[in-house]
Amino acid sequence: MAAQQTPSRGAGRRISRRDFLKLMAAAGTVMTFTPFIDWGKFLPNPTGNISERAKVELPDGSQANVKTFQVNHSEAVVYPKTDDPALNQEAFRTWQFIRLPEELGGNKNDPSAFRMYSMVCLHLWCLWKYWPEPGRKRGECPCHGSMYDPLTGKAFAGPAALQSPPSNVLPMLDLEIDGNGDIWIKPPNWSVDGNGIVGFGRFIRA
Amino acid sequence: MVASLERENSLVGFFRWLYAGVERTIFMGMKFTFPSRFVSPLGFLGMLTFIMFIILGITGALLMLWYEPILDRAWDSVENINDVIPYGFHMRNIHYHASNAMVMLALLHMYYQYFSGRYKIRNEILWVTGIILGVLTILEAFTGYDIIFSERAELAISIAASLTNSIPILGPQMRDAFFGAGFHDFVLRFYAFHVFFLPIAMLGLMLVHFPRFLVFDVPMVMAITGAVMLTGGVFPVEMGLKFDPNVPPGITVPEWYLTGLYAFLRTQYDKFVTGVAWPGLFIFTLLVIPFIDRYKRFSWKDRPIITAIGITSIAQIIVTTYWGFYIDPDRTKSLLERLVIDPIFFYLVMILLVPLSFGFTYMMIKLAKNAEANAKLQPKKPGGKSSVNISQKWIYIVFVALLAFQVYLNIAAYYAVLSGMKNYSLFIIGIIMLVFAAMFHIFRSGRAMAKAPPPKPISPPPRVTKPALTPPSTSPSIPASSKEEKPIVAPSAQKSAGNPSSPQNQPSQPQSSRGTSAPASSNSSSTISDPTLSDINLTNATNMTTSSPSSPSNENISSTNSTDVDRKKV
Repeated sequence: MAAQQTPSRGAGRRISRRDFLKLMAAAGTVMTFTPFIDWGKFLPNPTGNISERAKVELPDGSQANVKTFQVNHSEAVVYPKTDDPALNQEAFRTWQFIRLPEELGGNKNDPSAFRMYSMVCLHLWCLWKYWPEPGRKRGECPCHGSMYDPLTGKAFAGPAALQSPPSNVLPMLDLEIDGNGDIWIKPPNWSVDGNGIVGFGRFIRA
Repeated sequence: MVASLERENSLVGFFRWLYAGVERTIFMGMKFTFPSRFVSPLGFLGMLTFIMFIILGITGALLMLWYEPILDRAWDSVENINDVIPYGFHMRNIHYHASNAMVMLALLHMYYQYFSGRYKIRNEILWVTGIILGVLTILEAFTGYDIIFSERAELAISIAASLTNSIPILGPQMRDAFFGAGFHDFVLRFYAFHVFFLPIAMLGLMLVHFPRFLVFDVPMVMAITGAVMLTGGVFPVEMGLKFDPNVPPGITVPEWYLTGLYAFLRTQYDKFVTGVAWPGLFIFTLLVIPFIDRYKRFSWKDRPIITAIGITSIAQIIVTTYWGFYIDPDRTKSLLERLVIDPIFFYLVMILLVPLSFGFTYMMIKLAKNAEANAKLQPKKPGGKSSVNISQKWIYIVFVALLAFQVYLNIAAYYAVLSGMKNYSLFIIGIIMLVFAAMFHIFRSGRAMAKAPPPKPISPPPRVTKPALTPPSTSPSIPASSKEEKPIVAPSAQKSAGNPSSPQNQPSQPQSSRGTSAPASSNSSSTISDPTLSDINLTNATNMTTSSPSSPSNENISSTNSTDVDRKKV
């Protein structure tokens, strides 16, 4: 080794054949194993990758419609829905579909009247729900009393409110309404800067 | 009867043949020692940790036959194991308590190595792999109690997931990759990690972590196994409540090895800082400590700063662990008030513990050095605590009594199972293990007594192996590196050479043999590598320095040697 290195140094800037060969071997090794980087996609669960809009399917099986869905009312919606009933029960797939109360603009017939938040409380993953009673009109978690603002999904009281962003704002799905008044869920972007991460939170878009 | 046991039957012959065959395997690189008398377990805590790992492997493999890692069935399958499957209760309890014991033993093992400075002398790799193993052990225990999918498990999973999410930049991707999406994935993946990924990684690391010299002390192994079962009998692990996202959970705290972390999280300060950065910093400090510690001595008394850092860490671990458990019992307060720890108060205490621990260390070192000086003035106490000082006849009598006790316990355990008192039967089986430990101890004492005068024990093997271990080039290297070491080597060498027969040297032995195994290697190696020190060093245990090039072999075996040698000399 040592005997080989001395001439290569003496040769100045020029690369020796031996070093060139080593570089080629290193490049070959890198090229051989490069394709496996993408194999990392094996790990995340792909069911969240949805590229098409989905129905807001109410518990009775019908699609939510602007004309029929009451103001200041909420339903639990499964999204993304699978064929496996056990998986459909999972907390991470349950969303609270809310039509806001009148004072928050719930009587409009556009998507701004509706909200769809993950029901998984950001504190310890219990399932919160919307309480439409006068004086409440907010999301409340039965476990430790975290309360959520229906307008933004931000926790304003309880342990979840103490968590630093993004863990104090509920993940929210974007909605759209077609010509018939049917409500659809737009393809989600599961990141804290997009629709948020279920059980973790979301940054409120400025 | 004795004669028939003396004769070499075919079974003994077979085992001898097997043993000879081991020569051809990688195991010949290891040296197992079965101590012939009581040896302090401090020297082989690592082996005891490994024994726990084996017990966990066996019980865990059996539990796999019944456990179902499926979202809506995990908890019910554990309940089935616990209540329906015969001896499922036993398996689950042993598995649970052995996991706690393993974490505890690993911690003790680490701190013993830390304070005795055994991570020096080319043992850095052993230390670093040991720290990684310790982290994996805790992760293994953590994933284990998560897959029961009780309320407490759900709390733990949610904390783990949110901590992973909180890691800057890569966090969410990491969570997706490791945890998947949703509870169904969580249970299945934690299960995969628990039964395969982590154990296989641990086994791989153990290959690197294992020293060449291992002590297998049968009574101690049986005693801790018995202790695990006994604990399982007295404090059977609960099922917890099945997690249901619609039902408000009660207050749950994580397992004791994570309540320290939990206390930090309960300050409600930023998750990444409290839950990832702090423990990360702690682990990192442990990883690099052998490279920070530049003291030339081994004993904790001679490394004040390092000892003080260790004491500080212990103090902080104890305080945070307790704090994590403590929840204000006042039920009239809101849950939040009871859970949240005031960060200013909390961090103030953490900081306050630093000078306190440093002061405490200073005091301990002063006291220890004082005691050392006093001990030099007094004549040595004869005898060791280890030997069983009863006559041969009484050994037989005690043995028979213990055997009878075993028979009674066996019957009692069986009837306990028959009448459905599972925890009682587990408790009794634990006692049986402990009785076996006592029997074995008496057995080896009796055997040692039968072979009076005791033959010169194991000390020759290391001497024989030393030259093979030590490359010939190392002994010339001593003068080269002796610039720094001289101030340390020289005085002790002079001291021992100056008055070889005076009692001054001898009283220093007990601490050394108790505190560290280092003297052993100095004994054996210095006689070879450094002719000037000669055999006198055998009695002078304090002069262990880094100068001995062959000392990396001072492993568990050496500690047994040292105690043996020391006692002989005394």
